[in-house]
Amino acid sequence: MDEEPERAKRWEGGYERTWEVLKEDESGSLKATVEDILFQAKRKRVFEGHGQVRLGMMRHLFVIIDSSRSMEDQDLKPNRLTSTLKLMEFFVEEYFDQNPISQIGIITTKNKRAEKLTDLAGNPKKHLAALKKAVDSTCVGEPSLYNSLNVAMQTLKHMPAHTSKEILVIFSSLTTCDPANIYELIKTLNALKIRVSVIGLSAEVRVCTILTRETGGSYNVILDESHFKELLMLHVKPPPASSSSECSLIRMGFPQHVIASMSDQDAKPSFSMLHLDSTGEPGLTLGGYYCPQCRAKYTELPVECKVCGLTLVSAPHLARSFHHLFPLEAFQETPLEEYEGERYLLAWHVKKCSAWSVISSYMTHCTAVLAVCRLTGHPDVRWPDYKTSVYFSTRN
Amino acid sequence: MVPIPPGIYNLDDLKDFGRRKGWCPYFLARYAILHANIVVYSYHYLLDPKIADLVSKELTKKSVVVFDEAHNIDNVCIDSMSVNITRRTLDRCQTNVETLQNTISRIKETDAAKLREEYRRLVEGLKEANVARETDMYLSNPVLPDEILQEAVPGSIRTAEHFVGFIKRFLEYLKARLRIHHVVQESAPQFLKDIYEKVCIDRKPLRFCAERLRSLLRTLEIADIADFSAITLISHFATLVSTYSKGFTIIIEPFEDRTPTIANPVLHFSCMDPSIAIKPVFGRFQSVIITSGTLSPLDIYPRILDFHPVTTASFTMTLARTCLCPLIVGRGNDQVAMTSKFETREDFAVIRNYGNLLLEMSAIVPDGIVAFFTSYIYMENIVASWYEQGILENIQRNKLIFIETQDAAETSMALEKYQEACENGRGAILLSVARGKVSEGIDFVHHFGRAVIMFGVPYVYTQSRILKARLEYLRDQFQIRENDFLTFDAMRHAAQCVGRAIRGKTDYGLMIFADKRYARADKRGKLPRWIQEHLTDGSLNLTIDETVQLAKHFLRQMAQPFRQEDQLGLSLLTLEQLQSEDMLQKIAQIAQQA
Repeated sequence: MDEEPERAKRWEGGYERTWEVLKEDESGSLKATVEDILFQAKRKRVFEGHGQVRLGMMRHLFVIIDSSRSMEDQDLKPNRLTSTLKLMEFFVEEYFDQNPISQIGIITTKNKRAEKLTDLAGNPKKHLAALKKAVDSTCVGEPSLYNSLNVAMQTLKHMPAHTSKEILVIFSSLTTCDPANIYELIKTLNALKIRVSVIGLSAEVRVCTILTRETGGSYNVILDESHFKELLMLHVKPPPASSSSECSLIRMGFPQHVIASMSDQDAKPSFSMLHLDSTGEPGLTLGGYYCPQCRAKYTELPVECKVCGLTLVSAPHLARSFHHLFPLEAFQETPLEEYEGERYLLAWHVKKCSAWSVISSYMTHCTAVLAVCRLTGHPDVRWPDYKTSVYFSTRN
Repeated sequence: MVPIPPGIYNLDDLKDFGRRKGWCPYFLARYAILHANIVVYSYHYLLDPKIADLVSKELTKKSVVVFDEAHNIDNVCIDSMSVNITRRTLDRCQTNVETLQNTISRIKETDAAKLREEYRRLVEGLKEANVARETDMYLSNPVLPDEILQEAVPGSIRTAEHFVGFIKRFLEYLKARLRIHHVVQESAPQFLKDIYEKVCIDRKPLRFCAERLRSLLRTLEIADIADFSAITLISHFATLVSTYSKGFTIIIEPFEDRTPTIANPVLHFSCMDPSIAIKPVFGRFQSVIITSGTLSPLDIYPRILDFHPVTTASFTMTLARTCLCPLIVGRGNDQVAMTSKFETREDFAVIRNYGNLLLEMSAIVPDGIVAFFTSYIYMENIVASWYEQGILENIQRNKLIFIETQDAAETSMALEKYQEACENGRGAILLSVARGKVSEGIDFVHHFGRAVIMFGVPYVYTQSRILKARLEYLRDQFQIRENDFLTFDAMRHAAQCVGRAIRGKTDYGLMIFADKRYARADKRGKLPRWIQEHLTDGSLNLTIDETVQLAKHFLRQMAQPFRQEDQLGLSLLTLEQLQSEDMLQKIAQIAQQA
């Protein structure tokens, strides 16, 4: 806890009562109770949602990031803004990984105003670039919840009814400076079926509680940085669609990737439609994806065709969205002694094929990839980080 | 028998009902009191002898009387038996007397029989009351002592004109007494002796004053009693001063201490013994229960009110999560002690530290904060200093500031706007006073009060002569030390103030005691048990920084989701859990302990 030589002075960071982290809890202390409650909530979240629920898979999500004075607070290291932006980069990547046919837009609010950092788009690169640049911006003034929700709403209200319209607010300040009555805005948001969720960085603010309750979103306040990450990741999964949203048949195009070589007579280098209004280097490419309806060229998928408005995707994208509908079954927790079948000891397996077999049932649901061990031929799961508690899968 | 259908009625409902049936709602209410199973009304209807006589005269002996929020009951008892007379009162009384005189002479010309009838009725009316008390049907009236009924109304006030003349003489005497230039303090018997010497008014006719006036007003069929409030006050004073020789004191001040140049003579007839007013209640009813959330320390109440409790019990709250966080802040960041002690009130550093505390709290506490000061003057001084130091400006960047004043309309407006600011997410701070209207009446549930800050220890103004007389009386009669009583009074007000923030089991809030003196055992021990048990040793003498850390941590923990399922079994019981063997045994155990 004390190995950061470059950190700001102690009195700016506030006291850390390290001795209290090791608090005994046989007296039923408060800390144990709260952590227990959180743990139970997490388990419940994993085990619920196995019903046949319709999910809103085409998501239009606006993330509103508070850039007011309170974001300079150093209770998240190095300060709240930097920490938030870093987690946001991770979030954006995960989001497009899990929801390839969805879009994200980013709005920041400070100095009683709100402005769009990036517009609603399905391309993660632009968002990541904007987030990296935003680290240098100053945090000044007070946020305006009303104005930022308004900016988001102006775009979202034009979205078709079958999509899931969401707003996620990362709110660190305890006050908001609004030009008009925010309860009217909440009613409008409700009418447009926009779902607003809030992640609070300081404490519970009444207006956020009402906002999320009325629009059907969730409101959580972070305890520390890892909790913040967890809460953000909750929003990566598509939420259940509200019963009143229409379902309709969506037209999609599945363009083939055309790779032309230099020796091909008809191949001519051309611009991609995306480069028409981007400021990056205009690249002339030979191959690409051609929209089946209007033959406009694009270098990447998924994308919405600018000429004819058709959503262009490729099959693996849909498959990835699909797995939300059919998640893995919950693993059964069996104590070691009762299990009769074959077991794999960690050490032994590592020697044999250097594959991890320590499983946590929660991790499997989030980011697991089923892979086959090349040496032994046993299927197992891989994931970026792991827990040390051991559960045995009943599958193999 | 008036058929009021079973149900729950408040005054508005009774008004509607009366309007529909064509009955007077006032008498309907008075009637309903006698025939209701449960009556809920303010203490004064039972404790103030003038009102209790009218309203609660006929409640049956077997009733159970429960005084809720009774931590201030001794003050209520004292106020109901005290009278304050100013020069304005006497002037208005003069006008009343003249009106009475004119009315009497007018009636004498038209209907002399009425006055004769009145006199006869007077004597017979007293006889009726005597019969009723012996057969134990009415609540006894402490203003009317038992001995009077054995005697006839003295001749000096029998007829109406004589009575009016009598009142005039008494009035002149009072006016003369108020023309003084130094403070006078005397007991009731001394006062009576002085009256006898100066204007030859005896004790006996004074005792009949209130009753005689009431009957006269009835006879003259004067509809607008409110006009005669001044003379009613004087007659009450006369009756009280002549009835009780012990437990009262008269203090005449030529001017108020704080404004020595403005001549404002006041006669304070103050009751020092709260047991006088509540004795008839204890004597009359079978079961009397005194209860409150901040009745602490428990043993001082039986001593002050002079009764022997059959049972005393003190309960704590069962909570599924610790929803209150009491903290005692004794020092600022510069290690200067923070206190509202009189000697250090003008100290620049103390005021600045208080300002810093409020500033830091406004930055970390969401929605509403309520701050209590010890007095209006102190609050005004501090706020003026903060303005000069620029602290108010910094606070306003975080939250809006509202302030309670002595004007009721302004205060309700401030309260309304404060609640609106808390609802809208702007956040607000309400600055008020520990003995004001806000601290006694208004609840700050949930987001309206996420933190309560008590600036200083709310002692009453200790230089007041009435208070000094009372303390002396308590020391002589009940062997209660002055310091103990003052601390007890201050701590109950402090507990009352901070208790405004938590009004339910899902509610949570910070309670900050901003004075180093709270850490001392004699003050800490007088806080109610449900606050004391959450006050750890580590939170007794915090600096502002440490307070901020603890508060932030607490607020984040409380913001985590807390659903009904988490409370089941701990603070919320289903019917099955309530009827289970374990629970029934636990209940029996608690009942035995207490």
